[in-house]
Amino acid sequence: MNPAKRHSRVGGNPEKPRRCLPQAIARLVASVLVSLLAFAAQAEIRPFAVDSLKQIETARQGKAFILGFWSANCTHCPAELRTLAELAKRHPKLDIVLVAADTPAEIPELVRLAEEYGLTRQAQWVFADAQPERLRLAIDRRWYGELPRTYLYDRQHRREGRSGVIPAEALESWVVEHVK
Amino acid sequence: MVSKLLTLFAAGLLSAGVAAHDHAAAKPVAGDYAKVWLQKQESAPRLAIAASFDEQGRLWRARVVGRQIFVSHSTDAGRHFSPEIAVNRENELISADGEARPQLAVVGQRVYVSWTQALPQPFAGHVRFAVSEDGGQTFSEPVTVNDDARPITHRFNAMLADPQGVTLAWIDKRDGSGNRDYTGAAIYTARSSDGGKSFAANQKLADHSCECCRLGIAADGDGTPVVFWRHVFGKNIRDFALARVGEPLQRVSEDGWEIDACPHHGGALAIAGDGARHIVWFTGAANGPGLYYRRIAGAEMGQAQAFGNLDQQAGHPQVAVFKGQVHLVWREYDGKHNQIRTQNAVDRKNRWSKPQTLAKTTGAADDPLLISDQKALWLIWNTANDGLQVRKLMP
Repeated sequence: MNPAKRHSRVGGNPEKPRRCLPQAIARLVASVLVSLLAFAAQAEIRPFAVDSLKQIETARQGKAFILGFWSANCTHCPAELRTLAELAKRHPKLDIVLVAADTPAEIPELVRLAEEYGLTRQAQWVFADAQPERLRLAIDRRWYGELPRTYLYDRQHRREGRSGVIPAEALESWVVEHVK
Repeated sequence: MVSKLLTLFAAGLLSAGVAAHDHAAAKPVAGDYAKVWLQKQESAPRLAIAASFDEQGRLWRARVVGRQIFVSHSTDAGRHFSPEIAVNRENELISADGEARPQLAVVGQRVYVSWTQALPQPFAGHVRFAVSEDGGQTFSEPVTVNDDARPITHRFNAMLADPQGVTLAWIDKRDGSGNRDYTGAAIYTARSSDGGKSFAANQKLADHSCECCRLGIAADGDGTPVVFWRHVFGKNIRDFALARVGEPLQRVSEDGWEIDACPHHGGALAIAGDGARHIVWFTGAANGPGLYYRRIAGAEMGQAQAFGNLDQQAGHPQVAVFKGQVHLVWREYDGKHNQIRTQNAVDRKNRWSKPQTLAKTTGAADDPLLISDQKALWLIWNTANDGLQVRKLMP
């Protein structure tokens, strides 16, 4: 990234990005409790916290998968979700994880939409933090919140992030190459 | 106990990998977690607020609590507020987060308030409006301003008041609803010239706007409202446009952000005494994502100048021209604090002050507002943990 290539910069130097510190123990305990609460209260859609992405990745070590961020309030998301549902139908081995960038208040609506799109078999999460910016920073510093946002993880978990609706053919060829 | 918790947690980790969930041991009560969150949202003030100064220098605020919008004012720059007056007496679901923001303007004794009523249908809303004639003590019965009554998008309203009346502008899906070939939505406006008692027929300003980014609005030299929005150029390029009400649009950014997604990230517009337009916006275009500022004087488009730290999610900027000087504010998140950063133009030769932090908070925060009274330029920033942050930028 170098915006200066195309435009000049408004004066001054941007701060060097600070490195994310390791999660404090307190936060770990808190997130454990949040997760437990989640499992007790809601099996269909789980609350996505700062360390949830690590959980999702750890559980899929050595496996390719698609991580899809969406929202009930995103007009382009239905197209993306329908494409993913079709893809899942054609490739039963394909593992898709869906994370809604909404709030737990929207869970009933999210459940309804997932059913409508035919995505009930997929793991579902919903942003559960009053500060979505904290979650976005943990997921990808260079994701600005646009939706849908999709990450294609290969088996080594090298990931490719893409914003917007991904053409069905592109997804198809990715699956053929990476999901065995 | 701890080890038992950790075992449970480990089980949770493992099951995260299973597509079909089967927690037979503790059959969940679906929706409980949702209910708790919803209750919290219904009882606490929502973060997205509106603020405005009146001629006497009093700071007015509109905020949403539960299903009502409340207005109050402060004579000491936000330290204390008068008792809040409910604008809508009948409850309704009100959008008040991020890009969907309540609107407030004060002209003399008139207090104008506008908001989006969220409908149960996806992406659907109505543009709502009420006015007080008595300095905010009582409000008229709210009206729906969009004259298309279908449960579709009429949302993201912006408002501009002046001594002659009030103009609303919003994103409207009436032309595109049910028409798959129609790209995006449209910008519609409505004007009241009788102090908000009635509105003239809705008027389309432009076809093919992006669907979910806040609008900017400012008065031109002759008082005509100028609207600034994210447009869809061609098939899918989501760059910015502006237009005087009743006139054709002008493309004002050429980032080439081609994407069929919802950026949820609008821009802001200020118009200086000399008629020059000052715009700030966000683009995700691959060859130069981030925040930009540009000055437009007639047909002359200034250079787009980048600002903000991309690795700290720089976003949601505001711009103001105060006593001839351009000021920018925007939000960043450093992993611990939400903060409001600022820069100001040092001269007309694109020289700028170094970015500085104006305010920060550890919790959730609204986007910044940058407004002025007769004497000063202020940052107004609503935060969950530290309340309303008010900072004087100038003088």
